[in-house]
Formats: sequence, structure tokens, C-alpha cells
Amino acid sequence: MEELIKKIKDIIHLSIEAEDYLISISKEKIAAKGSILIRQGQTVDKIFFVTGGCLRSYCIDKHGKEHTLHFAIKDNWISDYIAFHENEKATLTIECLTESNVIEFKAKKIMGMLTLFPELEPFQRGNLERLFVSLQKRILNQLQLSAAERYDLFLDEYPDAEQHTRNYHIASYLGITQESLSRIRVEKAKK
Amino acid sequence: MKALQIEKYGEIKDSLIFNEVSKPTIQATDILIEVKAAAINPIDKLIILGNLQGMLPIPLPSTIAYDVSGIVVEKGDEVSSFEIGDLVYSRVPQEQMGTIAEYVAVTSVAVSKKPGNITFEEAASLPLAGLTAMQSLEYVGINKNDKVLIHAGSGGVGSLAIQYAKAKGAYVYTTTSTDNVKWIKELGADRVIDYKTEDYKTIVKDADVVFDTLGGNYSLEAFQVLRQGGKVISIAGPLDEETAKMFGMADYNLPEEIAKQISGKEATYKYLFMHPNGAHLNEIKLLVEDEKIKPVIDKVYPFADSIEAIEHLATGRAKGKIVITII
Repeated sequence: MEELIKKIKDIIHLSIEAEDYLISISKEKIAAKGSILIRQGQTVDKIFFVTGGCLRSYCIDKHGKEHTLHFAIKDNWISDYIAFHENEKATLTIECLTESNVIEFKAKKIMGMLTLFPELEPFQRGNLERLFVSLQKRILNQLQLSAAERYDLFLDEYPDAEQHTRNYHIASYLGITQESLSRIRVEKAKK
Repeated sequence: MKALQIEKYGEIKDSLIFNEVSKPTIQATDILIEVKAAAINPIDKLIILGNLQGMLPIPLPSTIAYDVSGIVVEKGDEVSSFEIGDLVYSRVPQEQMGTIAEYVAVTSVAVSKKPGNITFEEAASLPLAGLTAMQSLEYVGINKNDKVLIHAGSGGVGSLAIQYAKAKGAYVYTTTSTDNVKWIKELGADRVIDYKTEDYKTIVKDADVVFDTLGGNYSLEAFQVLRQGGKVISIAGPLDEETAKMFGMADYNLPEEIAKQISGKEATYKYLFMHPNGAHLNEIKLLVEDEKIKPVIDKVYPFADSIEAIEHLATGRAKGKIVITII
């Protein structure tokens, strides 16, 4: 929590009352490898800030196949924002690919925080803008870049994630088959 | 709930009926699965015909089939390895037989999470055949570069056994008919023998392992292609004495012909009965997720056409597994 508080203070002036409130609505957890933080189909009332480990969010289609949306590593926020903001059931499952350290916030408390402490608004807005930018980049990259280029971006964005992920997680994230992923890796190794 | 049940022993079209039955209740160690897909196996046909009344007595009517993939909707108080909402697959135990239905209760130790990169239909196709292949080959042990002969490579068990043996680094011979040679090669078999035009006994020499999936003469012939000290694992031949005794056949003796062959080659012979095992299914899950094993499906039928699906199974011409989608 200390690291997160420091990050916030790097952006805004954080009053002692706001800092105490943030601490009071947070819960630091160690989630075991394989544990599920949010499950598709269930109500979402939590947002997580990752302080260690590697997580994956994915959806399951009507045929039972998983599709990876994204990964989360240190200093990432992760939740099902559609479910959270639209007050709907989760369309994503968030699993811990490794033992992970997360700070769990009750979603309603986070929203209530901005009413009580408006000075936190730039920090929250910054988080959402970064999330929006990240998703926009992901869509544009999917439309414009080759699979090999997108694989390179994945490696840059999530250093070390490859050692914790299964091949089908990465292939699904890139929208390619596992065979294509193997070919890309072989070509990359030749260079 | 709706379920496909066997009402009497006999021909498939005369013995099966869709009934409205109670949703299963679960014990403390069970989970309740909402069935998304079920798969059928040759044993289902034998049960319907009445050929297994002595060995596998069942009350009539009974819901049929053993393979399932679906979603956990309830769990017993003593179940800690699954949560509501988990996507799973299983070969259910005999006493919980009945997967061509909307729900099935299964002891949690027979269940595993399903591979994440395949559909419910593909997952349902794997358990019985996959466990048979894996448990058979694991019993004899497959080492890298072992020469392994797997008969009937196009069948449900054979097609998975080829892939499993290749995942272990074996050199795989398999037998199949002309129509299937091309796709069996694509599964990874090293030498595909078209039994319509080739005699496998002139091609396979000094095999380390023979997986006898056909029985009859093939069980005896296995020793002709086996190396000295090799191993034959069978799911269709005569029982070995140890297995027979486990089933209470205290006076059973291995048929003389086969006993001579075993002795002559100083070989090992074992008949394997597959058993439900969630931990083994989890190992298969990892191989499937790494695409070392890919499901092989002949056809998917809707629930309403389940009887037709079983009739198709009975022709013996399916290339891979027959699956039923439960909608």
C-alpha cells in the first residue's frame, strides 16, 4: 500500500484524511497461483491494484473456449470495468497465473472516495485514461500490425510474463493459433 | 430434467427413450455439472445390447453414457477443489453413469477443469478414450525413441494414443484403412500402415510396446512383432491372470497360446481396465493446452438426435469421437 500511496502523491497532493481513508478501504492480499479474483457471470464489486505477480483476464465464449483480454503485472489495475460501471454480471474471469500480491478495493468505496475527496479525481481520471489508451492501442495494433509485431509489443509490455503464461494464453491474446506463435518464435530466434 | 435412458436391453432404436427425470442430488463429495456436451463410446453400445449385464448390472431405466463436459452449478460440502462456475470434464464412475442429460452428479475426484483452449464438445470427447490411452501407455511406460505399435489409429482410443505416445517421444506405427491414412499421418504417427494393402507384421519389427486395441488374432500376433522382453498392453484381448483374479476369477488361466507367446518372448502382457481419474484428466488437460494432444471428432449431434448418434457409433465407421451437444 505504501508504494501505491507514493505513486498517488507523485501526482497529487494527498491529505492525511484522504490517505487514511484509502488505507481503510483497502485490503492487501496474497492470492495463490490459480486463484480466481473475479469470475465470469458473477457480480463485480472489487478493483485490484497489482503489487506483484502476474494475472490474466479472459472471457469464455458460449462454446467453452477461453479468450485472453489482457494480463496484469506490477503497478497495473485490473477488474471487469464493464460489469462494474454498467452494474452487470462479469463478462470476464480474472485468474492469478502466479502467486500474486494485490490490493483489493471495494468498488463502491472507490467511487465514494471521489465524493469525499475530490482531490483524488486527477489520479482516478489518469488511471482510466491510461486504461482507455491501452485498449485503443490494442485495437489499432490488432488492425494494423503483423502478429510478429504484436508479439514483440506483448514482450515489451509484459516482461517476464511469458514464463508464467501458457502458449494458448499468449496465442489467444494475439488472436493467432499456437502454431503461428511457434513459427513467430522460431523466426525471432533466428534473428 | 430431460435424459436419454435405456429402458430395456436390445437393439439401439428399440431400447432408448427420452424421459423427464429428477435432477440428480449430490453427496458431500460430489459436484453437480450442468452438461454442455456428452460423448459416447463403444461400451455404451454393449450396455444397450445387454452384452454387459453380468459385468455391469444397471437398474432399468438408466440414463446412459460416461463422458461429459460442462459447468459446475452445485458442490458438496466436502469439495474444495472446484468452485461454482468452473468449466470441467469427466469420465463419470459406473455408479454415476448418465451424461446424456441436462445435469449429472459426479464425485469430484473423477473431475478435472477442462482444457481452456477447446470447446465443451471437444472436451467431452476426451475422458474415456483419453484415460484409456494414457493409463494403458503409462502402465507399460513409454521411453523416448521406443517403437510403439498402436492398432486402429482412427478410433477414439487409437487417435489419442498416437498423440500421447508421440508426446512421450516414441516412434509410432499404427494400422488403419486407406481412407484414414492421410489424416492419421497428420496426427503425427511415424509409419501409418494401410491394412488393406500392407501386412503390418512385415513392417513392424522388434517393437518395444504393442497397444492391442482389437483383440482376437491381434493379441497373439502382437508377440510376432515384439522384441524380446517387450510389453503388450491390451484393452480387447484376454484378461491377464492378475486382472482376472481382481474380478474374482480365482481359477482363471491365461489361454495357452498366448501364455506360450509371452514366455517365448519373455514379454509382459497386461489387460487394462480404464478407471475414472481427475488427476489423470488434469495431465491430459495440460497436454491439450500445449496442443500435444488434439481432440478428434467425427461428428457432433444435437441432443434430440442422440439415438441417431449412437446408431452411428454402432456402425464402427466413425473417424474419432461422436459427441452430443446438450442444449
